[in-house]
Amino acid sequence: MAHVSIPSYWKTLPQRYCLIGMKCKNCGTINFPAREICISCKQKSEFEPKKLSGRGKIYSYTVIAAGSAPPEFSEQEKLAGSFPVAIVELEEGLRICAQITDYEEEDLKIEAEVEAVFRKIYEEDKVIRYGLKFRPVKKRKSLP
Amino acid sequence: MTLQKVAIIGVGQTRFGNIIDKKAEELFAEAFLEAVNDVDKGIDISEIQEVYIGNSGVGGGQLGNFSSLMTDYVGLTGASALRIENACASSGFAMRAAILAVSSGVCDVALAGGEEKMNDTPRNRVRYWLGISGDMEWERLSGMTFAGVFALMAIRHMHEYGTKREHLAMVSVKNHKNGASNPKAHLQRETTLERALASPMIAYPLTLFDCCPISDGASAVIVCKADLAKKYTDTPVYVAGHGGSTDRLSVFQRDDVTSINSSVVAAKRAYKMASVKPEDIDVAEVHDCFTIAEIIAYEDLGFCPKGKGGKLLEEGQTEIGGKIPVNPSGGLKSKGHPVGATGTGQIYEIVNQLRGSVEKKNRQVSGAEIGLTHNTGGSGGTTVVHILKR
Ligand SMILES: [Zn+2]
Repeated sequence: MAHVSIPSYWKTLPQRYCLIGMKCKNCGTINFPAREICISCKQKSEFEPKKLSGRGKIYSYTVIAAGSAPPEFSEQEKLAGSFPVAIVELEEGLRICAQITDYEEEDLKIEAEVEAVFRKIYEEDKVIRYGLKFRPVKKRKSLP
Repeated sequence: MTLQKVAIIGVGQTRFGNIIDKKAEELFAEAFLEAVNDVDKGIDISEIQEVYIGNSGVGGGQLGNFSSLMTDYVGLTGASALRIENACASSGFAMRAAILAVSSGVCDVALAGGEEKMNDTPRNRVRYWLGISGDMEWERLSGMTFAGVFALMAIRHMHEYGTKREHLAMVSVKNHKNGASNPKAHLQRETTLERALASPMIAYPLTLFDCCPISDGASAVIVCKADLAKKYTDTPVYVAGHGGSTDRLSVFQRDDVTSINSSVVAAKRAYKMASVKPEDIDVAEVHDCFTIAEIIAYEDLGFCPKGKGGKLLEEGQTEIGGKIPVNPSGGLKSKGHPVGATGTGQIYEIVNQLRGSVEKKNRQVSGAEIGLTHNTGGSGGTTVVHILKR
């Protein structure tokens, strides 16, 4: 089912709320989300938590058109119409998939600088799921 | 270990489309009976010992013991049967499982097939179901859709290689042209570049005409030991090579999103087994769930160098009559994409192309001797490639 249970969601809160990556003690690669077998050296390694800066650049993006969003996002779709989702490459080199928020159309381009912000992502089973979105860096000062 | 060579002796496929008057097992029976009747010297269905049926389970109709429902309905009770789920590549992998069963020597005759009933499911539930073959936790639940993931690949491909929206639309125009003369295609109509470009946006840069339709359908393929093939038919088609592979489920965790590594690896394995090169392929059915996927497939399968997929289209090389005709059936875009039935549906098309038995001459690739099928699951988490020879 297209469903992440609340306990499963809880397990990933350090990543979703605080952007904590797991650094492989064997090869140094930051695994995000966490894994047991390192994504890079494929060893059953030990990992140490590493707080990520949240700054990065758009690697690729799309705009999910109104009427085609996943059902979990139909509320957002009703309010906002279409919304952009991107692959963001963080300063630390790894990539994350997340929505772009507080943007103008011209902000949606490859290489555009973005930073992580804490936001409501969706609601399911009457529970609000919070997590991270990214916003264009140039907007930082104009927001409260 | 010596592997048995494998031959295809019968193929069947329903029309793909919005088939509201048939239940899942009725669709499967139609494809199965056509495959049985296609064995021109006849076959007793009790000779079928192993059955593999691709089904993604859209709508969740019969998720448990699906294979028993199907074998029961078509009179194959007693055969060993298995439902295979690899998203959109389910029946491609069912085909590979049937080949492996025969080539291992475990049985003489096996059946591969696929079935999907998508249109009985309310639209909201289909939407719920569709995005679940990619990464759930981080892609889907950031608001990403199935089209969206391929859009990410498209934007990056455009950035790195200068591919344009017009190239995407050219895939659509070509496949609709082929599908227009396929009586079993879902969307049997042509379109124009202008119309494709102007159709509603689904996930930028992909428009409605960059996306395959939601189809019902079934397909079936009967295979046997190659040295028994002439007992069943005068026109067997031989399995020359096959390969399967996986890639990281999440697109955002792949090093390069302009290529699908499971395709590259599966193709390499199939080419090696068949001892052929990409330039030896006369006709191919590739997995164009979205137009960008066909362009990436050209490159991953070695039909052109990396980044030159758009140019291959501009030159018309993948049209019927070109150097390497791709998707003469209309592909997923026009023939349709009943998820679990697509893979063996591609085999159905290539077998008819190699036999020269395509029902309409303008769709027949003349003199084709070696054909390839390429079937990808979800956003590339799984891929299977088959190479067939006359
Ligand atoms: Zn490592």
